[in-house]
Amino acid sequence: MPKRDMSFKKIAGVTMMLACLAFTFLPIIWSFILSFRPTTHLFEPIWQSPTQLTWDNFQTLARSDFPFALFNSVVTAGGSTILAMIIGVPAGFALAKGRSQRKFIASWALLLLRMAPPVGFVIPLFLIYLNIGLLDTWIGLIAAYMVLTLPMVVWSSWTSLSQIPDELIEASLLDGASLFQTLVKVVLPAARPGIVATAVLAFLIAWNDFFFALVITRSDTVTAPVAIMNFVSYASVDWGSIALASIVLTLPTVPVIIFANKYIVQSMGGAVKG
Amino acid sequence: MLPSAGVQPQFNRAYRMMLFPAVFAVGIFAIIPLLGMLGLSFTDFHLIKPWDRDIGLHNFERLIGDRRFRNSISVMMMLSVFGVVAQVTLGLAIAVGLEKIVPRWRFARGMFVVPFVVPHVAVALIWLSLFTPTLSPINAFFDIFAITVPPLLTSQYGAIAAIVIADTWASTPFVMLLILAALQGISSDLDEAASIDGASKMQIFWRITLPLLKPALLMVALFRFIETLKHFPLIFVMTNGGPGRATQATNYYAYIQTFQSSNVSYGAAIAVFLFLFAGIISFYVARANARLTDA
Amino acid sequence: MKLTKSHHTILGALMACSTAIPTSAFAEELNVVMFSMPYTRALAELEADFEAATGHTVNIDVIGQDVFENRITLSFTGGSGDIDVVHAPVIQLQRWVTANWLRPVTAEVAAMDTKDDILAGPLDSFVVNGEQWGLPFLAGVGMMAYRTDILKAAGYDAPPATWGEMLEVAAAVDTPETAAIAMRVAPGQGFNMFVYPQIMRAYGGAFFADYPTDLTPNMNTAEGLEGLNTYMSLMNDYGPDGIGNFNFGEVTAAMQNGQVAMIIDESGLIAQTLDPEKSKMAADISIAAVPSGPAGRSPAIAVHGLGMPADAPHPEASFAFMEWATSADVQAKIAISASFADFTRASVASDQAVIDNFKSIHPEFLNIRVAMLNDAIGHYRPLIPQWPAIGAAVGENINAAVNGILSPQEALEAADQEIADILADG
Repeated sequence: MPKRDMSFKKIAGVTMMLACLAFTFLPIIWSFILSFRPTTHLFEPIWQSPTQLTWDNFQTLARSDFPFALFNSVVTAGGSTILAMIIGVPAGFALAKGRSQRKFIASWALLLLRMAPPVGFVIPLFLIYLNIGLLDTWIGLIAAYMVLTLPMVVWSSWTSLSQIPDELIEASLLDGASLFQTLVKVVLPAARPGIVATAVLAFLIAWNDFFFALVITRSDTVTAPVAIMNFVSYASVDWGSIALASIVLTLPTVPVIIFANKYIVQSMGGAVKG
Repeated sequence: MLPSAGVQPQFNRAYRMMLFPAVFAVGIFAIIPLLGMLGLSFTDFHLIKPWDRDIGLHNFERLIGDRRFRNSISVMMMLSVFGVVAQVTLGLAIAVGLEKIVPRWRFARGMFVVPFVVPHVAVALIWLSLFTPTLSPINAFFDIFAITVPPLLTSQYGAIAAIVIADTWASTPFVMLLILAALQGISSDLDEAASIDGASKMQIFWRITLPLLKPALLMVALFRFIETLKHFPLIFVMTNGGPGRATQATNYYAYIQTFQSSNVSYGAAIAVFLFLFAGIISFYVARANARLTDA
Repeated sequence: MKLTKSHHTILGALMACSTAIPTSAFAEELNVVMFSMPYTRALAELEADFEAATGHTVNIDVIGQDVFENRITLSFTGGSGDIDVVHAPVIQLQRWVTANWLRPVTAEVAAMDTKDDILAGPLDSFVVNGEQWGLPFLAGVGMMAYRTDILKAAGYDAPPATWGEMLEVAAAVDTPETAAIAMRVAPGQGFNMFVYPQIMRAYGGAFFADYPTDLTPNMNTAEGLEGLNTYMSLMNDYGPDGIGNFNFGEVTAAMQNGQVAMIIDESGLIAQTLDPEKSKMAADISIAAVPSGPAGRSPAIAVHGLGMPADAPHPEASFAFMEWATSADVQAKIAISASFADFTRASVASDQAVIDNFKSIHPEFLNIRVAMLNDAIGHYRPLIPQWPAIGAAVGENINAAVNGILSPQEALEAADQEIADILADG
């Protein structure tokens, strides 16, 4: 291969990657800039007054309901992830290793649930919650998030547990372990990347939700994505606080995804290998 | 799913016990509200009209003649198709780049994934600020060279492009991860064999890698397609459905009918339509998935 | 069928509360839901005053407007009884009353000692079907803010008094750095449909043939077209980049940051452009009346107040809060602490501390506001239950015209057609 050609292609490739990295990061850098700019300098380019920075937005944020909403988000997203894992992983295991004629239907149903348009069923959901007293409670929101997370957990653990060799399970069963013991002591440790990836994805789905929280929370359990919208008020859009709130809302999940993305790739690798 | 003959038929009962809690939870928290939605769509529940017991298909009849509904479908299709094409192309470029062009950048994978965890409300607000000419650094930057950047959010297709861009920014990492997973599943023996035969890297990519990736690409594209049908925060925050009705996708239109026009039953009928539509596409996803993993 | 049952629950809840027995000797815990604006945020900080005065505890929840509309629609539809006092924009009042979401407070208001201190216009705008449905705390009117330096440099000592002059001044002062004028264009009954009817009505246009007796849609007339063309020319030829998606936030910010020479918006927001802490240009900004047209002047008006949900469990305590939150005392406090200009109590305007505060903002502010209040018509936006839906539909068509998706003619035709459809639908 001609060397010159190689290096030209290499440069083109590196340029493309740098462009992609810029596309990924410029909006993030921009939101950092926004969050440190005083309101009076928000509308002039940063290079005109690069030293005009402020901590005001931190105070605004600290005084608002946002920290409380963030706590609600952690509780509800965390709670629903744990619950969905407890319920969903055994189901995924059963689908992966059990004998059933209806697996195709099951996979379709799981996808369909994941895709159902929330707009349509919020009113029925709201009325049910109202009548059983789950409105504006952590339990209610955790349960509602199960609609989002459970199909994902079942689907994803089904995929990753399918890759566990049958022999491993048979050996454990022959040793006299029950099926449930086998799942917990043998299968789960062997499928750790997939299980971690599943939990992370489930958490993100619940963490990012806007619509369910909009409908079934009130002041006691409002979550952070809804609370952000409170900075869009009549009279002004508080861009600085919005940007800062977005950063704060994203920060806790960044280490998680940086740590877990390799597991996601590994676990999906099984699902989509050609 | 991977083929599995199933282990130990005598454990069938135990397997069923494991399935039961999930089926039960889904039944309560998903199926009942969905049935409620279906029920509403046949009634005439209008917040500012007295309740009449007129049960029938009239909401669906009205859908057929509704110009705004037809407009919403074409908006939705544009958002979905352009969004999926952009995300798959970019996701493929980054995945192939990380794997083949600059493998030493592998550490950067974590950085590329960051937008994936930004909540959509925040994505919408950040991009709204970038698309507001009086505020945006993009406009300020080009103003230095006396170039006026056309405001995207005020033209029919510009607003669609703006939402597609924001969605692409947020969703490409997911596509990239899936493609990366598929790429790593492709045996490198094939590449080596081909390069010994004298094929160039480009040829290897187009002739060998891409065809092998096709099933994975199809699946991730279908997956994203259905997700884009549910667009809400991006439209809600960035455009309010405007300019005019240029970004009133079907899901958003259902929201407008329910919450703005008080027509709950009609909103539910639109949602039922969307659900059926998603159902058809999920069927193909499920089939593509079954083929992919059974092969 | 499950659905029928849940609807019965709604009706049941509505009936149950209309016979609820008021209990007030005890301290109640009140939940108040309001959407975020300077007054409501300031009110939330005064919670302790109310608690000290009445012994009730109150939780004032100030949330984003979009979130608000969702929440109350669901709460009221479900009859959940979790709201004791609700923020009630007059523009939604007819819809809420028709949907049986509110409880009238006619007797309670009639018994108030300070009833006569409430501005008659805003108070009356809460009357529907002969009953009083709320108490006003805010009456915002259209007003103009303009840059004295820019207009003077172009040879204008006074701001334009008519929309025709406005076109002329806009053409003279428009530069690539500083656009001539900004107004709300983003679609919505409270967005572009708050400012647009000012131009439409000034040229003699109207929503209906003869409101309220003949509700035949009547936007597509020569007068209506002239109004729309004026609005489009001002926005597209002399507005800043991206004006087609501007809402109140962008309009106010553009004025505060020196990106535009004139804006026409609501008095409360105009006051924000005069505040040196928020507005870089405050020293060069002056204010004026909304321009008039061949058919006179029709300043925009928005009245907000507090209402009592039909299912509120403690009506007496709820009304105590409504009375307190709209009282002259509280309004005067907020008029000073938050430079709140849209008060609805006559005595606030004669409060010396308030007068001094607004003198320091702009000597003419309170006078112009009163003049605009006098010129404004109560049905600036038609007072019918279908208005929220109609306003949204018309707003989308007007926005489509400004952004070149529909021709002005097409937009008005579509608006008329859709108004007719919505009215026919109920």
